Amino acid sequence: MTGLVLHDFELDEGCYKVRLLLAALHVPHLRSAVNMVPGGEQTRPPLLLLNPLGTLPILEDGAGDDTVVLRDAEAILAYLAVRYDAARRWLPDEPKAFGQVMMWMTFASRDLHAAVLARRHAMFEEIVDGAAMTSAARRAFRVMDDHMTMRRLDGDVWFVGKGPTLADLALFPSFALSRDFSIDHEAYPALRRWMRRVRSIPGFTTMPGIPDYH
Amino acid sequence: MMSEDGWYPVALADDIEPGTSTGTRLFGRELVVWRDITGHSHVWEDRCPHRGMRLSFGFVRGSSIACLYHGWQFDAGGRCRYIPAHPKLDVPASIAVERFASAERLGIIWVFSGDPSGAGTPPGGNAETMPVRSLSVNAPAISTVAALMKEASLLVEAGASGPLLMLQACGEPVYIAVQPTGAQETTLHVVVEPGSDRQKVSLWAEALRHTLEAEPTRSGVTA
Ligand code: FES
Repeated sequence: MTGLVLHDFELDEGCYKVRLLLAALHVPHLRSAVNMVPGGEQTRPPLLLLNPLGTLPILEDGAGDDTVVLRDAEAILAYLAVRYDAARRWLPDEPKAFGQVMMWMTFASRDLHAAVLARRHAMFEEIVDGAAMTSAARRAFRVMDDHMTMRRLDGDVWFVGKGPTLADLALFPSFALSRDFSIDHEAYPALRRWMRRVRSIPGFTTMPGIPDYH
Repeated sequence: MMSEDGWYPVALADDIEPGTSTGTRLFGRELVVWRDITGHSHVWEDRCPHRGMRLSFGFVRGSSIACLYHGWQFDAGGRCRYIPAHPKLDVPASIAVERFASAERLGIIWVFSGDPSGAGTPPGGNAETMPVRSLSVNAPAISTVAALMKEASLLVEAGASGPLLMLQACGEPVYIAVQPTGAQETTLHVVVEPGSDRQKVSLWAEALRHTLEAEPTRSGVTA
């Protein structure tokens, strides 16, 4: 295949992060649907040869020997931003903003992983300690809500800087989907407000579990 | 509707933007708080009369709120006015959502629990305030209020049943309205007088939450 290909599962929040950025950047791409649940297709060749971790999303860009193959949503987001966002709005060059975006991207992949597992437990019966994962997800959401509370008092609406960045896209899906694993949004007023702002990003798309009001 | 009659806070007015809704709880009972596009706020039972789904999952359209599931729409009076599956139907008046007396004061949305004829007005007078934040605390309301009094010097306990405290905290007068969310959860709605250092008060509130949740008296619930 040539060009940009996203190996994608519609119900996976990591894949959704990548879809959000691709839509915001208007980058032409192909989406290759993977039967992740129940099929587990990503855990077997040929996908396993692209990503030995057996996870999604996977991104391929280019052709032949020069093809870039990347795994993990945050790494893919960073690559796409450097490669396709010439203005560097999504991953700012300025050192402080860059550091802050990276900090929240790390948070998204590490601290919000509990939310991913809690959701898989609730939706796909993945065998994890659902209660422990839900508690950890609540702690992570609280960290996010405290941050956005402070941001609002400072007159800001995004996680970093004056416009939406990769931080917002990486953090959005787990919170927006938290009702899938029985965490309501009521205790997180600053995140509710932020979520509405994210929904207003040009090109914003929904996924199952994130209602489209219009 | 709940254990003790009186006015209780359910949200900071500023957090319910026109055209939006949220779910909340009072003594464990689920409520939807929403604001229509004309700016009026409403507090209702969070239950769609159709199949009982939560209305707070739905969305506000003009001066109605629509259920997410099958799109039934309810006007500001709680009456169902439109059922998408039966667009021509003149919906009977009996299909309605239970509403509660509510009011905005001090920048806080209050709901009255009990017989609304004796409701009067929410506590706190008409002082002008600035919102700081709402804060969920994993501790019962009683121990939260007790610990609050230890942490800060009480200026005024406004209102007989005491859901509103005025404290001197980090050098600023701070209003805290206490929402008994569930048996083990309390929500504190924090507002200050105009000109106060809101960032400082917000950080104070975060530290306070840490102290409140560390109280040995709470009954073993984790975050
Ligand atoms: S449950 Fe609300 S419209 Fe069906």
